[in-house]
Amino acid sequence: MNDIRRGDAMLTDWRAAAQAFEAAVAGAVLGQERIIRLVTIAVFARGHVLLEGDVGVGKTTLLRAVARAMGGAYERVEGTVDMMPTDLVYHTYLAEDGRPRVEPGPVLRSSEDLAIFFFNEINRARPQVHALLLRLMAERSLQAFNREYRFPLLQVFADRNRVEREETFELPAAARDRFLMEIGMEAPRDPATRRALAFDPRFHDTDGLIAGIPTGLLDPARLGGIASAIQHGVRASEAIQAYVVALWEALVRPHEAGIRLPGIDDMAGLVQGGASPRGVAALVRAARVRAWLEERDWLVPEDIRAVFEPVMAHRVFLEPIHELHRSEIVPALCRAVFETVPAP
Amino acid sequence: MRLALALLLTVLAGPAVAQLRGVEVRVPRTFGYFLGDLVEATVAVEAEPGFALQASSLPQAGPVTYWLDLRRVETRQEGTRHILHLTYQTFYAAIDARSLEVPGFPLVLTRGADHGSTTAPVEVPGWSLGLSPLREVQPARRADPADYLRPDGLGPRLDPIPARNAALGLGVAGLLALVLLARDRAWWPFRPRPARAFADAARRLAALARGPESEAGYREGLLALHRGLDAKAGHRLLADDLDDFLARHPAFRAQREGLARFFAASRIAFFGGSVAEARDRLPLAEAGATARALAAAERAA
Repeated sequence: MNDIRRGDAMLTDWRAAAQAFEAAVAGAVLGQERIIRLVTIAVFARGHVLLEGDVGVGKTTLLRAVARAMGGAYERVEGTVDMMPTDLVYHTYLAEDGRPRVEPGPVLRSSEDLAIFFFNEINRARPQVHALLLRLMAERSLQAFNREYRFPLLQVFADRNRVEREETFELPAAARDRFLMEIGMEAPRDPATRRALAFDPRFHDTDGLIAGIPTGLLDPARLGGIASAIQHGVRASEAIQAYVVALWEALVRPHEAGIRLPGIDDMAGLVQGGASPRGVAALVRAARVRAWLEERDWLVPEDIRAVFEPVMAHRVFLEPIHELHRSEIVPALCRAVFETVPAP
Repeated sequence: MRLALALLLTVLAGPAVAQLRGVEVRVPRTFGYFLGDLVEATVAVEAEPGFALQASSLPQAGPVTYWLDLRRVETRQEGTRHILHLTYQTFYAAIDARSLEVPGFPLVLTRGADHGSTTAPVEVPGWSLGLSPLREVQPARRADPADYLRPDGLGPRLDPIPARNAALGLGVAGLLALVLLARDRAWWPFRPRPARAFADAARRLAALARGPESEAGYREGLLALHRGLDAKAGHRLLADDLDDFLARHPAFRAQREGLARFFAASRIAFFGGSVAEARDRLPLAEAGATARALAAAERAA
């Protein structure tokens, strides 16, 4: 069902590049096709991604693989408790002549070409660092050395370990809202994949694995243009617009949509806020990219459903008493929303 | 000491006799009492005016002798007559008719005055009571020991009709309550019939097929089948869920082709924005045929 207009050869070419990109990452990260598809969608929607998951499921490997396959300038920092915002911006040291020097830090080093900024263990960094990151993500700009640096190509990838809670700092709601997607990552369940991951020596040497990925598959400088073309090229019919609005309404006011979740008595007070217009706009952006990847130039409900949970789940804020169980409640709520709202 | 007390009694006795006019014990009869009978005795004391019976001197209800109890004592006064009604009960199991002595008892009459009170002792004399056995000591010999017992009395004949009617009424009421409970809880035979989701859709599609062709009608027809599928699946069914749905409901597998074409056409009609193209791919009559086939499979399932 190839409904993309024939004249729009650029979109078709780029789709081939996107598929090559997905294949390259999938060669290094086994059994995570869904996550890779979501990250690809985020790349073409120009959105920042937060990966969340257990220790050792391959979050860092996946993001390194994505960075290598994409190409472009790449910087990486590790979140620590004592990290300060200036550590990201400036690099201070004593030079050989004994004088203190201040040079551009990780964020500024590649200057305005920085395409991927990879923040490992983001929840270990302090709120001051989150605040800097918030500006970097929201405005893609930074004030340093008495001038403004702009990062038009920047995409932030972050990962977060959800097991440890000690010496960690929860991201503020505003910073979480800036992430296009928050993707939960789990180890693959498929026995064959598990066997390969455990026994194939190729997967033991992460550096070698990453080095084997073809690089520069997507040109960061042109991604912005193609992302814009996708957003303009994929149509959303009246029916799908009504559908998205109905989903939004049901997510914010589940009791009015007739949604009941087991174990929750007060459905009216369950959702306290969130699901911002920015979030719904992000949902539609991501869904359009998915439609394009599926070789359609119009949205269908499946596009919305495929990206709904990663895009919307972290933007929903529950009543404090239920926040502890959000990892069960929010996915159940998202499922219930799709089971309740009629499409078409 | 004892001599002094005797002297005092002699001194006191003189005026006391003068103040007492007479004591009389009356019993309805002095014979013919059996074990357990109540014996009513009336003691009348005729005294000088102004005297009253001292309450503390009255006999107390309780055992009098080993075979006689005093059950009740009542007093009243008629002018100068002081009357005691005594109710005795005899527990003497007599084996022949004999007379026993009921012991007498003392009473005290008092008269209050400004300079002190005068008391007068009254001795109520004992009287005899004729008691009789209930039956002979040695009854006639019987062959069967059971014959010594009297036969059981005949019980009254009860009318079973009201009890039977009440039982029937309550039984009917109980059954009625059970039926109501079964209906409330959807027990057999009130178990809800599975909704015929596709039958409704097929009816709606047939009605639309008879009407004039229009975009709105076409959409409405597709929506009818969508709602049928939603109802059958228990949640909203999207095109990508078709395989899952057929795996859960194998009865409809024969319609896989028709359903796939329906979902493809529905996508184009609602989201692709081209109802005409959708109608070319899947005329409403064909959707109706798919719905009818689904309804037939639903009835058979």
